[in-house]
Amino acid sequence: MAMISAQTFFISFFGLAAVWFGIVVFRTHSMMRSALALLFSQTAIGAMFIGMQAEFLGVLQIMMMATEMSIMAIFMVMFMMDPGGLGKMDMTHQKRRSVITGLVAFLAIVAVALFTNWGTLAGSVPDSAQQIEDLGLELMGRSMLIFETAGLTLLTAMIAATAVAVEPLKRNRN
Amino acid sequence: MTPELFPALITGAALFGIGIYGALSQTNLVMLLMGVELILAGAMVNLVAFWHYLHPDTPAGQMFVLIVMTVMAVEMAVGFGVAIARFRAIGSVEMEEAAELKG
Amino acid sequence: MTTALILLLLAVGAYLVAVIEAWTMNGRWQLAAPITAGIALLGRESIVPRKPDRVFFEVAPVLLLISALLAATVLPLTPGLIITDLATGVLFINAALVYVLVALLMAGWGPNGAYAMIGGWRFLGQLIAYAMLIVMPVTAVAMRAESLLTTQIVTSQADLWNILYQPLGFVLFFVAAMALAFLPPFDLTTATSELAGGVEAEYSGVRLAVFRLGRLVLVITLAATIVVFYLGGWQGPWLPPWAWSAIKILAVTALMLLAGPALPRVREADLLSLCWKLGIPLALLNIFVVGLQVLVWP
Repeated sequence: MAMISAQTFFISFFGLAAVWFGIVVFRTHSMMRSALALLFSQTAIGAMFIGMQAEFLGVLQIMMMATEMSIMAIFMVMFMMDPGGLGKMDMTHQKRRSVITGLVAFLAIVAVALFTNWGTLAGSVPDSAQQIEDLGLELMGRSMLIFETAGLTLLTAMIAATAVAVEPLKRNRN
Repeated sequence: MTPELFPALITGAALFGIGIYGALSQTNLVMLLMGVELILAGAMVNLVAFWHYLHPDTPAGQMFVLIVMTVMAVEMAVGFGVAIARFRAIGSVEMEEAAELKG
Repeated sequence: MTTALILLLLAVGAYLVAVIEAWTMNGRWQLAAPITAGIALLGRESIVPRKPDRVFFEVAPVLLLISALLAATVLPLTPGLIITDLATGVLFINAALVYVLVALLMAGWGPNGAYAMIGGWRFLGQLIAYAMLIVMPVTAVAMRAESLLTTQIVTSQADLWNILYQPLGFVLFFVAAMALAFLPPFDLTTATSELAGGVEAEYSGVRLAVFRLGRLVLVITLAATIVVFYLGGWQGPWLPPWAWSAIKILAVTALMLLAGPALPRVREADLLSLCWKLGIPLALLNIFVVGLQVLVWP
């Protein structure tokens, strides 16, 4: 019986937290709670990244998700008129099929994870400052074209989304 | 068999499963987007785990996570754009009331 | 040891912020007022409103305090006086400060009151806009230092402070810091005259004391951030490093607090259009100009 290392414990703990908050997202009746549960799930994932020594990605994840999920919260309240968590309205459909699909997907991925030969573990990870430098050089060097293409595509999507969302001009306004 | 990978991979799988459940079962567009966010989060956990345990010297792994993170934000922006347009048109973002999209 | 010392300094800083704030409001130095007001708050009943979201209601003040404290952990006050010199220090400050938004959303939603909720949603719009003006000037600062280490940022300003190297960035960051700490004239979240206290409206007793303390610590943390990023941190002639840090932080705090009573409160719509239509283009220009400067004048 090998000792569980502190790192494994850290990762597992925040992994469990992420999964638990992920479940809470769909189990609570309050829109606000559901959005903030998703935020805490994502924050726990950020902590997992830090546990896996990807410090930059972890901090970035924790930072980005806070604003993102707050926006999620206001849209939830805008579109759903949250009755303070008192509504007992059922907001699900095809529940059985969804549960089965979710479980099958989970089990299939776990099976793949267990039975694939992932090869040997690599050695040590470069330290965080080195990682940030490497990542910057990668972004601005070898992968620049990929990154620019992705950026341009995403920008197009964002402009299109804004164009769809703005209020249409009222014609014949007197 | 590399048991060190398992905590992260199983977390990723669980998040993916929950996300699939949410995306399929919720009747509200915004809740559905939350499911999609969880799916992408599961993918990110796996990517970071592979980077950390198998290829720590390849910064491209981290770059991929960065792109997924941006995609999450843009996916939300697009989703809300559609939601606002939908709400303007018919006054609700319920999936059950979008039956005209059925093939 | 360092942690305890920095916590103590933050407590003293919060006290001084309260004294200066009272001075800017009524022009008198009331040295005992913060302490007596704090004791009075602790002695009062801490009322829980009807049908609150209990978790959010309890967590919000504590989260506000914690996020302000976390942001302070990566700020160097003297070359050695820093809790953790994270390799991603600059990003970490942003990450910690964004949780102020989460705390205020919780404080707005939790108590189940109309004024509090309006205050919370107002702060959402305000912070999402002004968080951009925190992140983008900081990008330019990191570009000059070629590092995300906060200590490296201070030493990069040895020849010329960033306030002179990138004055535009300083102005933008200063305004954004005031909006983030919801100081007047950006105090739409807690506007006393229109929202009866906003997110603070439903809080009383111990919880209000924690909330106010969190806000004071937030102000002093933001002042320290400005000093580290733009005013050369601990550097300066003649005096020892700790004295320079203290003088600069207090001066910046006083400046942040003095601007408030002199200006009328900004309308929410004006506040947002000011940021998105003027602030963000200027921040992009700032990044561009600093990029050129770094290239031609290293």
